[in-house]
Amino acid sequence: MTALAPRASRRRRSAGWPAATTLRYAALIVGAIVMVTPFLYMLSTSFQSQAYVLTIPPQFIPNPATTGNYTAAIGTENFLLYFVNSLIVAVISTAGSVLLSSMMAYSFARFAFRGKEAIFRLLLAGLTIPAVMLLIPQFILARNLHLLDSLGGLIFFYIAGSLSLNTFLMRGFFASIPGELDQAMQVDGANSWTRYWRLAIPLAKPAIAVATIFTFLNSWDEYPIALTMINNSDNATLPLAIANFQGQHATQWGLVFAASLIAVIPVLIVFLVFQRYFVQGLTSGAVKG
Amino acid sequence: MALTSTAGRATETSSVARPGRVSSPRRRRRFTLTPYLFLLPGVVIFVVAIIWPAVSAFQMSLYHWNVFNAQLSQWSGIDNYLTAFKDPHFWQSLANSAIYMVATVIPQMVIGLFIALLLKKKSPVQPLFRVLFYLPVVTSWVVVSLLFKFLFDDSGLINFTLHDFLHLMNSDVSWLADRWSALVVICLLGIWKGIGWSMMIYLAALQGVPESLEEAAEMDGANRWQRFRAVTIPAINPATVFISVMLVIGGLNVFTSVQLITGGGPVGQTDVVLTYMYTQAFNFSDFGYASTLAVILAVFVFILAMLQLRILRTRDGEELA
Amino acid sequence: MKRSSKLGLAVVTAATISLVAAGCAASTTGSGTGTKASPVTVTFWGSYGNGGNSTQQDALNKTLIPAFEKANPGITIKYTDIAYDSLLQKLTTSAAGGQLPDLVRADLGWVPQFAANGVLVPLSGSMSDYKTLAAKDYAGNVSTNLYKGKYYGLPLDTNTRVLITDQAALAKAGVTAPPATFADLQTMATKLKGTGVSLFADSGLGAWNVSPWIWSGGGDLTNPDETKATGFLNSATNVQTIQMLVDWYKAGLIPNLITGNKGATGTSDGLPKTKYATIFDGPWMSGIWTGQYPKFQPTYSPIPAGSGGSISVVGGEDIVLTASSTHQAAAEKFIRFTQTSAFQIAMAKTGQMTVEPSLADQQAQLAPYYKVYSDQLKTAKSRIASPNQSKIDAVLTTTLTPAFLGKTTVQAALDSAASQIDALLAGN
Repeated sequence: MTALAPRASRRRRSAGWPAATTLRYAALIVGAIVMVTPFLYMLSTSFQSQAYVLTIPPQFIPNPATTGNYTAAIGTENFLLYFVNSLIVAVISTAGSVLLSSMMAYSFARFAFRGKEAIFRLLLAGLTIPAVMLLIPQFILARNLHLLDSLGGLIFFYIAGSLSLNTFLMRGFFASIPGELDQAMQVDGANSWTRYWRLAIPLAKPAIAVATIFTFLNSWDEYPIALTMINNSDNATLPLAIANFQGQHATQWGLVFAASLIAVIPVLIVFLVFQRYFVQGLTSGAVKG
Repeated sequence: MALTSTAGRATETSSVARPGRVSSPRRRRRFTLTPYLFLLPGVVIFVVAIIWPAVSAFQMSLYHWNVFNAQLSQWSGIDNYLTAFKDPHFWQSLANSAIYMVATVIPQMVIGLFIALLLKKKSPVQPLFRVLFYLPVVTSWVVVSLLFKFLFDDSGLINFTLHDFLHLMNSDVSWLADRWSALVVICLLGIWKGIGWSMMIYLAALQGVPESLEEAAEMDGANRWQRFRAVTIPAINPATVFISVMLVIGGLNVFTSVQLITGGGPVGQTDVVLTYMYTQAFNFSDFGYASTLAVILAVFVFILAMLQLRILRTRDGEELA
Repeated sequence: MKRSSKLGLAVVTAATISLVAAGCAASTTGSGTGTKASPVTVTFWGSYGNGGNSTQQDALNKTLIPAFEKANPGITIKYTDIAYDSLLQKLTTSAAGGQLPDLVRADLGWVPQFAANGVLVPLSGSMSDYKTLAAKDYAGNVSTNLYKGKYYGLPLDTNTRVLITDQAALAKAGVTAPPATFADLQTMATKLKGTGVSLFADSGLGAWNVSPWIWSGGGDLTNPDETKATGFLNSATNVQTIQMLVDWYKAGLIPNLITGNKGATGTSDGLPKTKYATIFDGPWMSGIWTGQYPKFQPTYSPIPAGSGGSISVVGGEDIVLTASSTHQAAAEKFIRFTQTSAFQIAMAKTGQMTVEPSLADQQAQLAPYYKVYSDQLKTAKSRIASPNQSKIDAVLTTTLTPAFLGKTTVQAALDSAASQIDALLAGN
């Protein structure tokens, strides 16, 4: 239990039992193995040449190992460009969506106003509509707004598509911020924008981190909208490139998995950067804010 | 700064935060634009990019829609809806979606919360575990679906482990050749992929659990389980509501994994509403009927979501909005 | 106080609107034939990307298109490759939005459907030399472009299915030569029983899968006008042919891959691993095996003959011109270019078989197995040309699968399929 922060062990005396710690780690390790094994299989396959894929018994340690799939994936024409396009789209969509939806969430959590319930239901309804069904109307809309075949168009639809979920998620967190803090700031003369920006946002860091991670992931992986809207390969994103590795008659799994693993890296970085807010959470966030 | 000290917070949080309280006295005084201004940019984008297309999709469901030439579409009123209610394949696909939803929501929530509780505290190895549990979430649906198809292949790793390695089975199982075993594979994927997602939200929510309350309960001699029920569960209720609503919506909207693992096969046995809809839309070009299926599903899901919000709200006597 | 709060919101709102505006893409305009003075860009969509193997795309983008552009100054061809599984979705959506490209490399099964909805230009009307061009191609391929008396495309590449066998599996059955007739297959069937090697494997029961059996067995899918299936699809001959397959399935000689088990070993793996003795498949298999199973030596031979002879099914792609194209003349120039021997042979080198029988010998020089395919193509037939082709496939699969699983008789399955297909054909 020495691993725990001193503050935590001071508070939770019972947590100091070595037996409990052992159990806790045992559970975590078993869980982690279940979660990671399929992923390792994918990693291993990405280092195998096509001839060794799906053999019996399965090969966990690729023999012979090859980095050919990685060089082939990276060597694909414009791979770097697709990567950068995906990055631009995902970063701007995430920033835009988290900003707009945190504003909406703040409004829902902090104000009583006419039509609140109706607007919230509308947002919820947006979540229940299958995205596939919206493809054709959205395509026609994008045409009319001259948003076809552009990264800006993707950003527009990615922001729109993530607003409901993020608002719904953050609303709960804003609501649990003590109202007295708000009132105190108001007494000090802070307007609503200041209270949102200086108080609510810093206090809701864990929720904002979650929203950021999810929105980045969804924008980074989105395929159907990108497929229908992008024609020019200069504007293509990574999922389009990876889909092209799947052929009509045969798929080179090693290549697909290698490219997918490369694609996972930025998402993992975003996760690593933002996940620390779950621990720091309210305490340190509040001190800084 | 002083405002955010732990002591200050402890007193605030001992009462359930009631949003709206801050501004409601003001509303009595005069009408204010402020909440609408906060909503405006988001709502405008949302209405233009989501609600308007959704209305168009609903409109299509009232026609024998000609996707190639909308002018040639014929008004059909509720014909498509009548067809759907008489279509046994639609009912079967709805049943499959519902089975998937029921089988995946609870495990994702329970296991996700359990892992979040284990990972809540600070320690040098926690970030590593978080990443490991989060790995399935960051991997795209396309890739994990192919991966599971691969693992449950007749000559895949699962059969190898159960048959050749552990000798638990006498022969290899054709997992994807039968409706039920194929649904098992699809549900396992859904749970496996979703645990990290609920874990994350619970991790964030657990940060908001007031430590002072836990300490107070501990002083009162409450054991771990009692503290968990009395303090933790109510404190993370907004997250539970959010997760359960999102998972129910997501569960009934399952698509990519089914499309890639079985394609709805064998002979449509594992079709879910959205794979059936996709076939109608893009293979048969029957957008009127496809929209109808989507509308029925959306209405069904929306009612379920509203019911969930209502039930979870009254039970804990807590306002959500 | 209130003012600055509104200012903050106003900034966000303005930023949102400018974001939308920033996404505006300039739309390309232009018309006419394309000259040096007024250049045009012809857009062309297809799925030449072959599971990460870019040979076909490279031949098109790096050799053929530059050659065409050099010969036709003022015309630029912009080719976009789309994942095969997504092409139909993208085409449908783009058609709905009136945003189709000028040219599409379409699966030959899609042409009647697009034609029926007015998406395509009938080339037989717009190109004065259509008849001359079409006369050079296999008749079976040309016929896939026919809808209500007009031809909407020209064959671009073709393929068919032939019998591919694994020598090691033949040895297990105690034979040396691939089965040439249904009777040979029956002989092999008895010998393979209990060896763990399947006699034959296929991945479904659609028209692409079952029609070679039906035609070779002497039966038919419909009447010659393709207006009626009852009396043809459910004939005694067809019942006998399908019953033969069902018997093999029940004896464990055909794996459940055919009844939709997505987890079964695929044909491209099962044959080289000597799990399957024979498959019907196309010319693309050779490229797959060169990469995955470099040592595997498959044998290519005609579809086993029944009382109807050895008849296979025509596959491939057609090139079509969309009605929304504003560069018809320039696009037609490119269509003509695809029919030249230079184009056809260059693509044959990458695995796309030529649609011109006169080039078959030249093509056979590239790879010997091509000859088996081009010989098979001489008698191969095309599937029912109907806008409802995908529904017909669905009907065949859903009715025949229960017959294989023993839940119904072959006769009942075919009767039901025939009556459902009648309705689909009448709906045209």
